[in-house]
Amino acid sequence: MILDVVVTAEPRATRGKNESKRARRAGKVPAVVYGAFKDPQAISVNPKDILKIVRSKTGHNSIFNLDIPGVEQTPVIVADEQYDPIKGALMHVDLKRIDMTRPIKVSVPVVMTGDAKMVKQVGGTLDFITRRVEIECLPGDIPDNFIVDITSFGKGSAMRVKDLVVKEGTRVVTPGASILAHVVGGKEEVAVAVVEEAPKKGKKK
Amino acid sequence: MLMPKKVKYRKVQRGRMTGKAWRGSSIAFGEYALKAMECGWITARQIEAARIAMTRYIKRGGKVWIRLFPDKPITKKPAETRMGKGKGAPEEWVAVIRPGKILFEIEGVAPDVAQAAMRLAAHKIPLTTKFVQRETVE
Repeated sequence: MILDVVVTAEPRATRGKNESKRARRAGKVPAVVYGAFKDPQAISVNPKDILKIVRSKTGHNSIFNLDIPGVEQTPVIVADEQYDPIKGALMHVDLKRIDMTRPIKVSVPVVMTGDAKMVKQVGGTLDFITRRVEIECLPGDIPDNFIVDITSFGKGSAMRVKDLVVKEGTRVVTPGASILAHVVGGKEEVAVAVVEEAPKKGKKK
Repeated sequence: MLMPKKVKYRKVQRGRMTGKAWRGSSIAFGEYALKAMECGWITARQIEAARIAMTRYIKRGGKVWIRLFPDKPITKKPAETRMGKGKGAPEEWVAVIRPGKILFEIEGVAPDVAQAAMRLAAHKIPLTTKFVQRETVE
């Protein structure tokens, strides 16, 4: 999805962990922009701008404009990011230049809707295995997510990647046989047959 | 209890626990997780106690993942023994935990049930922990 957002970045002349630490202390995040057969460029960006885009409805597949004053203005996508394991603060971002005329590979989240019948009635567990599906399509055709309705899920039901409905011109890279979600466990209600006991024969005296 | 099937060396040195858990610090399988906020050792007994506490609380429905494995042998000398005469006998197995490590994950239960189960599990763990969940879009 293409966002009408412009993120301003500053080119970084110096490299290394100490310079990166200084940039973080100054409220910036070190980043790099690469791709589209051009040389990589070290930059620093405002983490709030990036987090706003990554946590938006379109998430990691948001295409936005990166403006590096005096260098270039280009559409980019967040290719990778690093977070602090304890604080959860953004530490580094990889941005990838996008050529709007060439297909790109992206991973699209799968969203489940409804309550599975099996889970509701007999206490099975919905096992959500593949949470993201990789597809190849033009940058303008990237879907926000794939919505899967699991209301009719019974015991042994499984949704596979090949069951997803995709737009024309989109190629699914994830193998079609991969299971998206299935229901496991849960005791099936078994009808118990009641058999009347035959009257015991008395002992012969 | 969890322990390795086979090891190359029976006894190991204590080692250091510096740095953060750069690997194993994000939720990989479930929806909710328990994250360690400081470094330390977690024994196989403590892992088992936490697992039992969680599975008993969530009853049926729901799935639990254990994201740590006790692969470090800890030795102990017998009581009332003079120093020297070599290193003690292997006593238990521990997992070395660095801050940020995901310890357990849960899926298939309501958020309040997951939080309560993780609270019980956290009581069995000798480290400060935090309940975390998968990031949702705004």
